[in-house]
Amino acid sequence: MGAFLELDRLTRVFAGSPAVRELSLAVGEHEIVTLLGPSGCGKTTTLRMVAGFEIPDSGRVVLDGRDVTRVPPQKRGFGMVFQHYALFPHMSVRANVAFGLETVGLSRVEIERRAARALELVRLPGTGDRSIGSLSGGQQQRVALARALAPEPQVLLLDEPLSNLDATLREQTRRELRALVKEIGITTIYVTHDQEEAFDLSDRIAVMREGRLEQSGPAEDLYHRPATEFVATFLGRAGAVEGLVGEVHDDGLISCRLAEGVIWKAQAARGSELAEAGMKLRLLARPEALAFARPGSDGALRGTVRETRFAGSVYLYTVTVGHGELEVQAVAEQARPGDLVGVVPSSAPAGLFAFPAGAERQTG
Amino acid sequence: MSAWGGGAGRQRGPRDRLFLAAVFVLLFWAVVYPNLVVLAGSLRGDAGLTTRHYAAFFGTASELRALWSSVWISALTVMFSALIGVPLALLFARYEFPGRRLLGALAAMPVLLPPLVGVIAILFLYGESGIATRLVQDFLGLESPPWRLHGAGAILAVHAYSMYVYFYLFTLAGLARLDPAVFEAAASLGAGRIRTFGRVTLPLLTPTLAGASLLTFMTSMASFSAPYVLGGGFRVMTTQIFNSKLQGEMGMAMVETVMLAAVSLMVLWPLSRWEGSREYVSPGKGAAPQRLPVKSRWAAVGVPAAAGFGVFLLILPHLTLLLVSLVPDGSWTVQTLPPRYSLENYAQLFSELRTFRPIVNSLLMASAATFIAVAFALAVGQLVVRWRVPGRRLLEAMLAVPWALPGTVLAVALATTFSVSQPWAGRFVLVGTAWILVMAYALRVLPLTGRAVLAGYRQLDPSFEEAAASLGAGRWRTLRRVTIPALLPAIAAGASLAFVTGLGEFVASIVLYTHRTRPISIEILAQLRDFDLGAAAAYGVLLMVLVAGAFTLAQRWIQGERAKAS
Repeated sequence: MGAFLELDRLTRVFAGSPAVRELSLAVGEHEIVTLLGPSGCGKTTTLRMVAGFEIPDSGRVVLDGRDVTRVPPQKRGFGMVFQHYALFPHMSVRANVAFGLETVGLSRVEIERRAARALELVRLPGTGDRSIGSLSGGQQQRVALARALAPEPQVLLLDEPLSNLDATLREQTRRELRALVKEIGITTIYVTHDQEEAFDLSDRIAVMREGRLEQSGPAEDLYHRPATEFVATFLGRAGAVEGLVGEVHDDGLISCRLAEGVIWKAQAARGSELAEAGMKLRLLARPEALAFARPGSDGALRGTVRETRFAGSVYLYTVTVGHGELEVQAVAEQARPGDLVGVVPSSAPAGLFAFPAGAERQTG
Repeated sequence: MSAWGGGAGRQRGPRDRLFLAAVFVLLFWAVVYPNLVVLAGSLRGDAGLTTRHYAAFFGTASELRALWSSVWISALTVMFSALIGVPLALLFARYEFPGRRLLGALAAMPVLLPPLVGVIAILFLYGESGIATRLVQDFLGLESPPWRLHGAGAILAVHAYSMYVYFYLFTLAGLARLDPAVFEAAASLGAGRIRTFGRVTLPLLTPTLAGASLLTFMTSMASFSAPYVLGGGFRVMTTQIFNSKLQGEMGMAMVETVMLAAVSLMVLWPLSRWEGSREYVSPGKGAAPQRLPVKSRWAAVGVPAAAGFGVFLLILPHLTLLLVSLVPDGSWTVQTLPPRYSLENYAQLFSELRTFRPIVNSLLMASAATFIAVAFALAVGQLVVRWRVPGRRLLEAMLAVPWALPGTVLAVALATTFSVSQPWAGRFVLVGTAWILVMAYALRVLPLTGRAVLAGYRQLDPSFEEAAASLGAGRWRTLRRVTIPALLPAIAAGASLAFVTGLGEFVASIVLYTHRTRPISIEILAQLRDFDLGAAAAYGVLLMVLVAGAFTLAQRWIQGERAKAS
């Protein structure tokens, strides 16, 4: 898929400190890309540069081969849904949806027709005469979407559009949103800090942290092959334990020495410098990639259960080991706080990632 | 569930009912009753009920003309004030240029001038022998002054100058309340600047503009200083009332009072409904709307220069007042600018009891009025917002009644009601005492102070009080330790408004003062009559400084409390 919308080394500095640094990202036509990251990571600023509300200090926004970096938002033709919807409170639902159609120079009849169609699209037919204040939060969200889509923009930008809905509605709405956007086939950038939302909605996720792009790719890629410790912990759960490089294998796997006689095989982080035996490393492990074993059994890391949590379908155990803390997932209750246990990988090297210890960074 | 529902959910005891009754009766007695007395008086002749005074009013062309003048002057005042205030607010709120903050703050400077002080400052500047008038006359080599500050035009000019600030401040606040994302939404839907302004900004500002129009219209209807000093033969309703009362034609004065109040109410009613009917509160992040940098080269120089010049014109009256206050008595005659300067006017203000007395009077009476107004506002806030007592709409409406009543109306009503001793009818002789002035001041500011305090009450999360109650705090302890401290910013805002209004009050004072109780404004007028311009200006500057001090203190305090809260 070629790049339809390209963000090329975008940088934006606020009051001396960069909010976005050298961010490059290519979005293919009809693709849904999510900018995911903790608050303050620069994802909204990035979206606003794409929309034209912020002019980057350096870098370019390229649409279909055309540089639109300095095209003002009203000439850019990108639809946007705002976090609080920014519906015009003094206008009816129909007038809101029709607003963007009026500048195009369509006939009144055509505007009416298209506004009605946009409202049908978001499953709100017949609400045109209602006032914005009379709508529920979920309905307002859909009107905002209809308004953004009505002028048939080339790109749709969504800034945490579901953050003001309650949990159940949020989950339902994001499925509908994905189905709708896919049906129209519009190129979309979606901003959220919610990992589940990103998983559910996106073709591709771009994880941001402190203004930089950490990693981008399909959700499975990020989850199973995180490039950084941050990505590993931000997407899904992961415990960490320190160790040394035992052996570096040709297939990108590393034998990690975690304790006397305990050697686990893990995936080496992409592009990491874990090249020599004896280097310090941090091993991150997904809870589902670990299991309990008898303490002292072959290859088992000894530890003490610190906490157990019941999470519905599974139990989660926090286990303190020599140089770190791991989480273990199990389907039945297998231990209690204070128990001495052994922990072994259940399907190595899946769910085990080795990172250089020097590159350790706090998680957002 | 308490008997009266809502509130802290407690049963109301007999003491609470007594409190409610006391507040209700006191408010009715102070706010409504005097007006009823005037209404009754306007219908009373030597032998019972009569419409004679009304017949006289409607049969006199000059009376009807004065009423009509009040209305059209006020309508034009609204228009001109909006034409100055709204563009200024948009300029300072939406554009970024060097000096924006300073100029934006200076643009609100006319609030520092109490009405009479503003009038005399403009008189010193543009009057027949004013500085600007003389400068232009000299420059053009004219025999006579190039203009005369006189009649309807002069009144309008002074009104526009002193009241555009309402539009300026309201519009700034209104813009700050809007979700900046709506402007971005309009842009992302292809709307340019002009379309966004016409279709989004302006409609969203209509409640704000209605509010400012209302305040301006009512203030202008009530305006007395400008028509009194500058009107000459041009009469409006407030000056008519004053003259009738001066000539002892109480029947006519009362009819005029009733008519002015009636017309004010007729405008207040629809406008306030319009204002209240659509309030757009944004749920946005509360981020300040982005200011657009001024881009083109000529604009980068031109905008700050034009803004600077405009603001200079707006603070010229203040500077003039300061200048005149430094001129020794009798030293300035035919020169364009004063030949000598000294501080002797100020020295005189503080060294003689005769000249110092009004300062003490104003400070004491304004303080007492502030205390009373705040106490009533708090009592009504507790009853209306917290206890949600039956009749709360009526209580709140009573707080707002003086809104519709110009100061002259209020003064005449008080003077009429409290000039006889009929204790069984709730009438006592207060005329001639300082208390009637205190009462007038307190009533005049009650709507504004009440509004500020009630708004504070409404924003106050009741769970604070519930938390205090759950921790065992009794009602008074909760009030003292939790409610009032949390309301301090609102109280500071309401109190500073009350104090500042009382300090410079002129309209009601001129009807109610005696030599012993005369406030600063009356003394300014007296000095003006003696042609002691320097002393009048020195009083004016003193008022300006006190007003600025009160506002600054309140602002600091409010910001300090906010900073503590967040």
